[in-house]
Amino acid sequence: MKETLKLGLVLAAFAAGACVALALVYAVTGPTIEGLEAKQLELSLKDLFPAADAFRELDGDIKPQDDSVSFVQTYEVTRAGAPLGIAIKVQGSSYGGDTTMLVGVGTDRRITGVKVLDIKDTPGLGANAKSPSYFVDKTSKTTFPGQFSGKPLSDAFEVKKDVAVITASTITSKALTNMVKQAGVAASAYLERSAQGGK
Amino acid sequence: MKRLLKLFTNGLVEENPLLILMIGLCSSLAVTSSVDNAIGMGAAMTFVIVFAELVISLFRNLIPNSVRIPTFIIVIAAFTTMIDLIMKAYFPDLSKAMGVFIPLIVVNCIIMGRVEAFASKEKPVDAVADALGMGAGYTWVLVAIAVFRELLGNGTILGAQVMPETFQPILFFILPPGGFIVFALVMSLNLWLKKILEQRSERASAKEAA
Repeated sequence: MKETLKLGLVLAAFAAGACVALALVYAVTGPTIEGLEAKQLELSLKDLFPAADAFRELDGDIKPQDDSVSFVQTYEVTRAGAPLGIAIKVQGSSYGGDTTMLVGVGTDRRITGVKVLDIKDTPGLGANAKSPSYFVDKTSKTTFPGQFSGKPLSDAFEVKKDVAVITASTITSKALTNMVKQAGVAASAYLERSAQGGK
Repeated sequence: MKRLLKLFTNGLVEENPLLILMIGLCSSLAVTSSVDNAIGMGAAMTFVIVFAELVISLFRNLIPNSVRIPTFIIVIAAFTTMIDLIMKAYFPDLSKAMGVFIPLIVVNCIIMGRVEAFASKEKPVDAVADALGMGAGYTWVLVAIAVFRELLGNGTILGAQVMPETFQPILFFILPPGGFIVFALVMSLNLWLKKILEQRSERASAKEAA
């Protein structure tokens, strides 16, 4: 009994020491990490809507049709108060696990752009979705997310038909396309509602 | 000094963690599809093993034998989380590229193995020399594998195009099976190196005897 207690105390002492050290490191790096993430998000939003001057986070009004994807954050993008569209940070499961993308939808029901923020798929294959130098169409230098820019939501969004596939990465291509479509459909439904209801 | 150097070089060839001890192979195959990943992983792992071996060696007389494994895990996990946070804050791109493999350093058998077999019995200075050798041994093998795989599988080194435009990348080398084959080739290269080194030391000792 006494021996067990002693072992527990020794372990607790090591754990406490480790906790203090970690807390110190976190206190130093935490703000930098958050700042980096916020900055990166703003840059990405600007990429999708170059004309935008303000982003407002929407809470929970936009929902995906099924459970295959989830919307982490949704933003209404405006310029001088007039709506430009919706940006959705969408998370879904791909070949290597959770993938996060930012999808922009304009008020004209077209995808304004897609950015892959985080992907854990095979480097050199599925992860090429994020690479700026991997082209699904070499002649026009279109990247995998780049091909969605300007695509109307009335399209089918079917891999190998109207969506070009990443070589040897059909699962990645399908998963990402589904995420873009879900975000697009939900955003466009929201835009429709707000246009009709006058907010 | 000579003894420390011996401990250090031990990890490079003779007892190379990947090629001779053959531990910690999973991450080495997973991250070697590009050279910058390999360098990043090698650096992160070296950081963790140096500090883990140092701390464990410093406290080696205070750690009760029956709870030594949980204690090792606490120490290793703490340093892994630190390097994870540091990389996220100061090298965000590298940290993104490495993804889950940084947190997985916790369960890297090389660190666990060296801590258990070496640091928990030896002096701190020796432990650090051993850790540096193991870290460097791990890193050079990762980089060697990654150079092959990235060059043949993607036509680039460190992201820069090396092969001519017309070169059709051999996807096979980026995929796991290609990793195994390159790994085996590097392993045989190391055996050859080891043999040469052994012959040389034998010759040296023969000379001394004569």
